[in-house]
Amino acid sequence: MQVREREATNPATQPQAPVFVARGLTKVYGSGDAQVVALKDVNLDIRQGEFIVLLGPSGSGKSTLLNILGGLDAPTSGTATWRDHELTGAGDDELTTYRREHVGFVFQFYNLIPSLTVEENVRLVAQIASNPMRPAEALELVGLTHRAGHFPSQLSGGEQQRVAVARAIVKRPDILLCDEPTGALDVDTGRLVLAAIAKVNAELSTTTAVITHNSAIAGMADRVLRLSGGRIVKEEPNPKRIRAEDVTW
Amino acid sequence: MVNVLDIKVLRDLWSMRLQVLSIALLVAAGVAVFVMSLSNYLALVGAMEAHYRNERFADVFASITRAPLVIVDRLREIDGVGIVEPRVAKAVRVIREDTNLPISGRVISLPASGQPLLNRLHLVQGRWPDPLHPEEIIVNAAYAEARAMRTGDTIDVVLNGRLQDFRVVGSALSPEFVFATRAAVPLPDDRNFVVLWASEDAVASAFDMQGAFNDVLMTLAPNASVPHVLEEVDLLLAPYGGTGAYDRSDQPSHRFLKDELAEQETLSMVMPSVFFGIAAFLLNVVIGRMVEAQRGQIASLKALGFRNLTIALHYFKLVSAIALLGTAIGLALGRWFAVGVVGAYRAFFRFPLLEAQLEPWLLVVAMLVSVAAANLAAATAVYRIAMLAPAEAMRPGTPPALRTFGWLQTIGSKQIPLQYVMAARTILGRPLRTLLTTVGIALAIPLVLFGLYWFDAIDHMIDVSFGRIERGDAFITFTEPVSADALYELQAIPGVLKAELQRVVPIRLRAGHRTYRTSVTGLESGSELKIPRDSALQPIAVLSDGIMLSRTIARQLDLDLGDSVTIEVLEGNRTVRDAAVRKISDDILGASVTMERTALNRLMREGDVGNVATLRIDPRQSELLWSSIRLMPKVEGSSVKALWLALFNETIGGMVLVGALILAGFGMLIAIGVVYNSARIALQERAWELASLRIVGLTRREVSAVIFGELAVELIVAVPAGLLIGWYLIELIASARASESFQIPAVIDPSSYAIAALLVIGAAVSSFIAIRRRIDTLDLVAVLKARD
Repeated sequence: MQVREREATNPATQPQAPVFVARGLTKVYGSGDAQVVALKDVNLDIRQGEFIVLLGPSGSGKSTLLNILGGLDAPTSGTATWRDHELTGAGDDELTTYRREHVGFVFQFYNLIPSLTVEENVRLVAQIASNPMRPAEALELVGLTHRAGHFPSQLSGGEQQRVAVARAIVKRPDILLCDEPTGALDVDTGRLVLAAIAKVNAELSTTTAVITHNSAIAGMADRVLRLSGGRIVKEEPNPKRIRAEDVTW
Repeated sequence: MVNVLDIKVLRDLWSMRLQVLSIALLVAAGVAVFVMSLSNYLALVGAMEAHYRNERFADVFASITRAPLVIVDRLREIDGVGIVEPRVAKAVRVIREDTNLPISGRVISLPASGQPLLNRLHLVQGRWPDPLHPEEIIVNAAYAEARAMRTGDTIDVVLNGRLQDFRVVGSALSPEFVFATRAAVPLPDDRNFVVLWASEDAVASAFDMQGAFNDVLMTLAPNASVPHVLEEVDLLLAPYGGTGAYDRSDQPSHRFLKDELAEQETLSMVMPSVFFGIAAFLLNVVIGRMVEAQRGQIASLKALGFRNLTIALHYFKLVSAIALLGTAIGLALGRWFAVGVVGAYRAFFRFPLLEAQLEPWLLVVAMLVSVAAANLAAATAVYRIAMLAPAEAMRPGTPPALRTFGWLQTIGSKQIPLQYVMAARTILGRPLRTLLTTVGIALAIPLVLFGLYWFDAIDHMIDVSFGRIERGDAFITFTEPVSADALYELQAIPGVLKAELQRVVPIRLRAGHRTYRTSVTGLESGSELKIPRDSALQPIAVLSDGIMLSRTIARQLDLDLGDSVTIEVLEGNRTVRDAAVRKISDDILGASVTMERTALNRLMREGDVGNVATLRIDPRQSELLWSSIRLMPKVEGSSVKALWLALFNETIGGMVLVGALILAGFGMLIAIGVVYNSARIALQERAWELASLRIVGLTRREVSAVIFGELAVELIVAVPAGLLIGWYLIELIASARASESFQIPAVIDPSSYAIAALLVIGAAVSSFIAIRRRIDTLDLVAVLKARD
């Protein structure tokens, strides 16, 4: 799989308006003694086509942030907007529409539908998208054309995760959110998945956010956000992105 | 220290509380119906036995014209005869000022000591007549109640043609009149039939029977040979006009009671047992799926090193708790309903003591069956999962069937939304589970249908018996045969639209060693007011020769068309004659023997006479009409169809309908339990999958289609299948339970099918709504964290 480097066209370096704007995001779970503050006053801007890696240990608030950005969860306070969509305070129907039309997800445990074949898992999303690519095209992009007729349980973990990537990108999402996409995979398989994600980011100019506690992946990003204790503690631009194939851990 | 797994049992019960409750209610419905119905039936049988025992119901009965009391000693000498009690029993008429309807009755002598030795009276109210006051009498409680008579009331009785005043001093129940039935009137008519017990002196002097008797009761010694005793008694009494001795099985009240109990047995034992059996099966299905849905937990426990037995015991505790909770609710409900139903019984079954009681062994059976059904299901499910390698079992969700079902694609899967493909694959890929769920839903339908069926059966029975067979509006019985002239006299009375004369004669049919005591009805040829019918309800013409038997009698006597049967007339000249069985009729109510009247007259060597008149009357003129009829000579009694049909509806109708409503209600409860649980467990098994669909952007409606598609298909198959199963089970039960007096027809009205189907579909829809709310509130984030 060939992934071109895009140093010259890195949008992060361009003076572009942010597509994601989060201000004062706070998320508190539970109450009283059982209260857990997952996010504390987080401010964040993400630009079109940017590849962001969110780094941090377990419990640092990465997933909570990603879930809020993806319209899966609502903050306790603060605001999050995607272009002209106000995500905070949106109803379930609005959030469903938002996810359906704009967001592609890749999760650590793939979340494939076991009773649908690889091609069907991808088509499932294509059938509800307004301008999808052909499922076969998406599968080709992740190099799984030959596995189209198999069920998820007949695939390896890496293959399943690449199906998840294909499923996420088939709708040509504006934003691709990946939560520990390599968390359950070995290095070689993980690289294949990362390559697929990078390829989508490059070829479709999809704004991409990847959560990981694996700092090696940070080298692929335009910008790395380090989280700890529910806050963004460090923001590091990465002018010299490496290829997925070169990531090691 | 409390075992942690036991804490898990409690937590699981709490977290699944709605599901636990719905399963418990399913068990409760089965247990309640089972315990209530069987307890009540056993209470009836127990009350009958106690009444017969306490009031010393005789074993053998015989009537004669008149015999001197010295004969009694000779009866006692017969081998096998125990106590012998002679008495005088005669037909009488009662006159009431508040009605023009002739009321017939029977007066029975009481010995000077008061309480007779046999067929003793159970005083409900008042006291015994004083031997010094021959005008004092006791009336049967049914009549006293129907006519609101109290002690101290006077009653005008025509005894042997003379009007005499009596004073009621008490009302009583007697084992020989639990049902006071008369020939020619198919159902007990408590308002127009009275039993009077008066002192021996009063009765004997009125009928000129001093030193004599015309009715005798006997008990049998243990091990006595009934046929031998009957034969000896007949031999001894023949010179005195004996009409043939008979045992309890031919005693009219007992025969009616026995058939009524057989009917109750169907309603109270057979159906509830089938009902409970189905409930236990459904419990098995539901519990099996519930435990299977916990496969991840079972696998984790196994992986942690718990032994299969420990895990199984853990689930035994869980499901036993549910089954016991259900049993407890069921017992409480059963007990509650039992009291109500026994209350309805009391209006119909006149026993001194009829109390709802919970039979302890029923409680044990109910508990064992529910706990066993639940544990069997749990054991099967745990075993199935325990047989898998823990790693395999720990994989998330229930593994789908890995078959694409090619035709699902070729018939245009490109057009079928994938959520329906998912539903279809689940249905087809796990055929056994689909079958069990479908059968489960289907079986809920017969349970509802069992209840509704009784409404239809009774409607049909009334329609056929009293709309198509007995078409007259009223019957008049005469004290002795009257000539056909009386018919013209009747027809001349204003308000009588049509009158037909019948001849009803007590007979004993004999075919080989089998006998059957009944009466034969002689119908006018071309009779319009009574039309015997076959099973297709087609009229059967009465032939001028031979005899027509009800199918139940033909079966009991092992007779077929063309066979010869001996008719022994039990009155008058005691003719014995052979006749050919020419027709077989299908009676729903009662079992009739029919001939043409003139043929019967010839057999009786009498003229053109009859002793029962059937009338079609103009209800607007009924008052005038009855006042004229009352004045006619030889009129003994009357019966008005509309009146006893109303009584029938109040008593039998009320009784059966209470039971039927309870059955239908519980059937519906079970339907909800099954459907809700199927949907709930399907959701539990696929929550992860459904949440994943929601995350990638499918709407609630699209996601719901996966679960609902699956249930809708099961429902579409289950409803017609359930209707068919219901029809078949009822057919089976009805044909197996046909008794002599009642043959409950397996008739189910289309509206009942529709109601049963709609109720189950309604249960499904409400379950869908409950499940839909859960789908709407699926916690998407939680799903991403945990895979199970």
